[in-house]
Amino acid sequence: MEQALKLIAGALPLIFAFAFLAPVIDQAMQALELVAPFGLSTLTFALIIGGAWGLFAQVTGRWV
Amino acid sequence: MNAQSVIVPDDISRLSNGELRKLENQIARKHSGMFPWEAVVWAFGNLAVWLSLWPLVLFDILPLWAAFPIATVNMALVYLPTHEAQHDIIARPGQKLRWLNELVGHATSWMLVYPFEVMRISHLDHHRHTNDPERDVDITTKAPGPWSAIWRSIQERQPNAKRNHDYAAAMARAGRPGLIVLALAYKLAFIGIISALAWNGYALEALLLWWLPFQIAITYIIFFLSWAPHHPGNEQGRYRNTRSWRSKVGNIGSMGMQFHIVHHLHPYIPLTRTPAAYREMRPVLEARGCRLGGL
Repeated sequence: MEQALKLIAGALPLIFAFAFLAPVIDQAMQALELVAPFGLSTLTFALIIGGAWGLFAQVTGRWV
Repeated sequence: MNAQSVIVPDDISRLSNGELRKLENQIARKHSGMFPWEAVVWAFGNLAVWLSLWPLVLFDILPLWAAFPIATVNMALVYLPTHEAQHDIIARPGQKLRWLNELVGHATSWMLVYPFEVMRISHLDHHRHTNDPERDVDITTKAPGPWSAIWRSIQERQPNAKRNHDYAAAMARAGRPGLIVLALAYKLAFIGIISALAWNGYALEALLLWWLPFQIAITYIIFFLSWAPHHPGNEQGRYRNTRSWRSKVGNIGSMGMQFHIVHHLHPYIPLTRTPAAYREMRPVLEARGCRLGGL
């Protein structure tokens, strides 16, 4: 259990990005009636942006 | 309340070290030992308001834009009742209302995504090692000015921040490494809850009722409870490791922290009594060479 928790915690930035940040971006875009570029859906766009930011945080250890 | 009167002599400079300490302790005792009902009402009232925001928003009774500032205030107000419980101010071990002390601590700390025991152990460690660069868990709040203090507090919430390691080290020093795992479990549960809300169409509600209020509140709490009362944080020792100071937003706006020096000297005094204790103790503090900031 402890090992599993530590393993998950090690990937927390990526988990946070896909599990929370992406739907936040998606629903914020919808609420503000923003259109995603290149004909993408807002969710696909949110997954790309959120995922890239999460990957950055995972690699560098910081979000900002 | 311990209602015994304490007479502070007109010329305090003639008192010996021991007499000064005795006088200081008498004043502290006078302002302690009472039941801090304000903290208990504050804890559960604040919790009830924040919890009520969820159904109010989810059932479209209250707009999210109106609930967001309320949630932010709720988050900022969580810490102080928890802090009273950390210091056993509501009831000490063995006392009849000890269960209430622990209930206040556990019922409030989870909103800030920390187990109560982690908060208690790390905070008591801060009291033991204030401004010690190696062992003070709050040393990472040290910054040259207010804006850099805000930026530093954001940096110290990043995945690889020193503050995370300092908290883990405090748990290890206390012989409670299991609490590190519990703290991780709290963090994962938090992300699990807000993510479940998000993927069920309530991402903005999770963002504006919990995640963002939490971030704003932590910045505010660290600024007024940690950075400002310890600034510049260079000295150690009972009478020099913290200070009193005049806040631009007043005592309520800075959550009673203008009198933080009294809290560090006598952490069993309830928050609501620290201004009165400070006013009475001021000549002693002056004689001790404390930094009183013109207050």
